Amino acid sequence: MSSHHNQDNIQHLYEGDQSKLYSGVMQHHTDVNSVESKNQVKKIWRVFWILLVVTVAEVILGMFFSHNMPKVLVAVFFLALTLFKAGYIVAIFMHLGDEKKNFLITVMIPLTLFIWFIIAFLSDGFFWLHMNSASPTR
Amino acid sequence: MSQTATTAAAEPRAWGGGRSPFNVSYGKMMMWFFLLSDAFTFGAFLISYGTTRFFSAVWPDANQVFRTFPFLEGYNLPLLFVSLMTFILIMSSVTMVLAVHAGHYGDRKTVVKWLLWTIIGGIAFLSCQAWEWTHLHAEGGWWGSFTDASTPVSAFSNFFNVHNTEVASQLKNFPLHGLQATHDFFNYFFTITGFHGGHVLSGVCFNIMIMVNTVNGTYARRGHYEMVEKIGLYWHFVDLVWVFVFTCFYLL
Repeated sequence: MSSHHNQDNIQHLYEGDQSKLYSGVMQHHTDVNSVESKNQVKKIWRVFWILLVVTVAEVILGMFFSHNMPKVLVAVFFLALTLFKAGYIVAIFMHLGDEKKNFLITVMIPLTLFIWFIIAFLSDGFFWLHMNSASPTR
Repeated sequence: MSQTATTAAAEPRAWGGGRSPFNVSYGKMMMWFFLLSDAFTFGAFLISYGTTRFFSAVWPDANQVFRTFPFLEGYNLPLLFVSLMTFILIMSSVTMVLAVHAGHYGDRKTVVKWLLWTIIGGIAFLSCQAWEWTHLHAEGGWWGSFTDASTPVSAFSNFFNVHNTEVASQLKNFPLHGLQATHDFFNYFFTITGFHGGHVLSGVCFNIMIMVNTVNGTYARRGHYEMVEKIGLYWHFVDLVWVFVFTCFYLL
């Protein structure tokens, strides 16, 4: 502990010195009205508009068109837009895009299990229906 | 001194101790790993839902199930109410990230302002969900509903797209398939949206807690607003889950 350690300060009991271990973004930022700060806020609002426009497009498609389109096309379209939105939320809102690349990889790798997970389970469901009924509709 | 030697002296080995190789604090990293595990929980729910749906020859149609709006009960307004809920949640995610941003700059008043808006958004979303649950419950849907084999088709055919001739003939020839699908649909709907709503509720509680701390100046004394950032991660994750729930239940 430094020599000017203040006995009244009990903050170290909460989170220890975690913040000193890493050079978090806090240290570099002081002026909320700086150009850098304003650009960041602009970026946040831009992502908001992207999310809103994509959602509105999805709803319009779901309301009026998806019932008269091939099912596979509808699924691919909606899932692609969903992943598009998810990417923006994780990269910009959750700041994962600003983290170290190694940390990003550490978080993303376990999620690739979902690829197997989805393929295995959905094909099993489809096979079950195929074996148990003559005319699958849905 | 050569260039390499200078670099080596300035930057000791990343995993040699005494520093954070990922440049992330312990708490924030653990929040990420918790969210990763939570992603698997929700993923398992949604994939299980998808599997059951693939099991079923017929399935309720979202445009039929979700077509009402508060105070406009007589009108056919498919997906409109859930679009409002989605908008509210996206909006609250934006206010949350603005609070995190203000926290980076130590701007206490702005943090409080945006946290308050986030809390209002969360409560608004939960209120919408309460209305939707009440409405569907009044239509007969609940956990363990639609199990009686003697239920007439007319009791659940309103959840299906009967304009589709294939669906209509399935319901006519195999009414029990329709009954089973309706039962499964509502079980999954209430479980998954309920689990998500529970996350929103706890997120609102956390937001209230960190707002009180911000007002009291706890984070200003601590010297950083990292707690706002961590709760922000949780809140965005809840929004992220909704993006997937929205697609799986209302669009596909």
